[in-house]
Amino acid sequence: MMIRAPMFFPARGSVRFALLSAILLLIAGVFVTVYEDGLYRAQRIQDLSVHADILSASVTAALAFNDAKAAQEYTNALQADPDLEAAGVYNPAGTRIAGFVRKGTDPLPVHPQPGAYLIGDHIYVTEPVLQGSNTLGVVFLRGNIESLGRRLARYTAILLLVIMAVLVLAVSALAQRALARANTELQAQARALTKSNVRLHEEIQERGRAEEALRQSQKMEALGQLSGGIAHDFNNLLAIIQGNLQMLQRRTEQGRTDVQKYIESAMQGITRGATLTRRILAFSRQQPLTTSPTNVSTLTESMRDLVRQSVGPDVELDLDLRADWLTLCDPNQMESVILNLAINGRDAMPRGGKLRIRTTNMTVRATPEIAAGDYVQLEIIDTGTGMSEEVRQRALDPFFTTKPQGKGTGLGLSTTFGYIRQLNGYLQIDTKLGKGTAIRILMPRYNPQTAHASV
Amino acid sequence: MGRYLLAAFFVGLAALLPARAAQTGPLESAVKATFLYKFVPFVMWPAGAFESATSPVVICTLGADPVSDLLDEAIAGQRVDQHPLAVRHLQNITRDSPCNVLYIAVPDVAAATQAIADMRGRPVLTVTDSSRLPGVPSVISFIVDNNRVRFDVDQNAAAENNLVLSSKLLSLARAVRAPVRRP
Repeated sequence: MMIRAPMFFPARGSVRFALLSAILLLIAGVFVTVYEDGLYRAQRIQDLSVHADILSASVTAALAFNDAKAAQEYTNALQADPDLEAAGVYNPAGTRIAGFVRKGTDPLPVHPQPGAYLIGDHIYVTEPVLQGSNTLGVVFLRGNIESLGRRLARYTAILLLVIMAVLVLAVSALAQRALARANTELQAQARALTKSNVRLHEEIQERGRAEEALRQSQKMEALGQLSGGIAHDFNNLLAIIQGNLQMLQRRTEQGRTDVQKYIESAMQGITRGATLTRRILAFSRQQPLTTSPTNVSTLTESMRDLVRQSVGPDVELDLDLRADWLTLCDPNQMESVILNLAINGRDAMPRGGKLRIRTTNMTVRATPEIAAGDYVQLEIIDTGTGMSEEVRQRALDPFFTTKPQGKGTGLGLSTTFGYIRQLNGYLQIDTKLGKGTAIRILMPRYNPQTAHASV
Repeated sequence: MGRYLLAAFFVGLAALLPARAAQTGPLESAVKATFLYKFVPFVMWPAGAFESATSPVVICTLGADPVSDLLDEAIAGQRVDQHPLAVRHLQNITRDSPCNVLYIAVPDVAAATQAIADMRGRPVLTVTDSSRLPGVPSVISFIVDNNRVRFDVDQNAAAENNLVLSSKLLSLARAVRAPVRRP
């Protein structure tokens, strides 16, 4: 509605303007026509007078020497002009000595009236033939001009063309105005759009701040969880150490010497505490890594016995080691990663099963999650209980564990994840409840050329 | 007086009845006499041929024939622009004779040729009648063609006397002897 209403009035106004222009032009055209017609007639009289001048000059000698034949020749030359109806040469006595009359037109006058004048559609010009101050005779010319009707028809055609041109101009002016209006509205829309865009931007920033706050609070929550977990674990360990030391103290007071068991237990507790500390440090990426180009297949092979002992007799171990590319990592850390994941696999198979450790060379094309390049893939696949989607999503969170109290710290997978990310690698979990879990680790292939640059 | 009237009648007749009428005898001579002054405006005269714009054009006759006899009547009351006309009937001429037009009516060709030779280099328009004096190299020679008085033109002779004839006059001439081109 906002667009249509203003368009309507200028349209009517422009048509009125065009009509007015056309009428004004018509009037102007009539004036111009009259003026032009006058000019045309004057021009024709002028033309004929020039003809008369030429004839007069040409027949001077012929008149002087009474040479009618020569005079006739000059007169005949004028027949080339189709608008010339008649021409005559008269001697001073008024006798015509030469002349012609076109068929179907009036005869030559006996006594032409001197001067140039227009009667109807005819022009009459009579000029004396002079030689110096002597008059040798007169020449007479009669010409016709285009009839008034034909002249008017011609002028009307021109006028119509002009009116058409005016109408075309009016239509284009109308179109121009409509265009300008549309343009203005577009500009208004563009301004509104800019305004809403600015508002959107502000809202996005606000939302970003809110998200940041949320993340901060989540971090604080995680930190709380972390500290709680650590405190709990250390409390347990300290309780063990304290208990054993108390037993040691009591036995020592009794003078007994069979205290070796308590000392070992306390030492074990201390060792576990140290391990826990190391893991926390690795997780928080504060422990420096001592990396070297490592063949993961060879490393895994060297761990065969250790892994077999760790998983126990109920689990069938299958090593499929095909990768021969090197990757840059800390071999000790990598050993603990493999061992950790193998133990996780074993824990998922309380009634036994099959644990596969597989290494492969892998070239990855760019995916949304993984950068393109050569990788060494390490897979630890079990046929255990698998994880629910809920569990899978939280599996990498620190201190998240499904194991019973005291059996796991909840740091195994999360530490592994942190470590792998530190190596610019990737860790994926494929799992299906009741079928088993596959942990896939991708580590970048070691490239000697860029070796100095990394880690 | 009667002779004058007769001549005037003939001259008037010559003007009224040009080519068609048989131009013989007195009428023919009257036409020729009229032509003698009518040639004057169709000639471009060298500077100094006339003293002033109003000084008379002198038409001389050498010898006598019917044309020279009718000349006085023919020019009576006529002018060429501002110039009045004057006639001199001469029996002999010298180079210094003050003539602008010389009509030669001597009885024999040799004398006429001599007269033209005498005038050579002078701004004088020499005229002869070829029916009486055939083959005389005058600038203009009368000739009767088809019962009409006409004339031949010798541009060579005109050039020798420093005269230039108008193209209008040349266009009316029966024959034109073109000037001899010198290499």
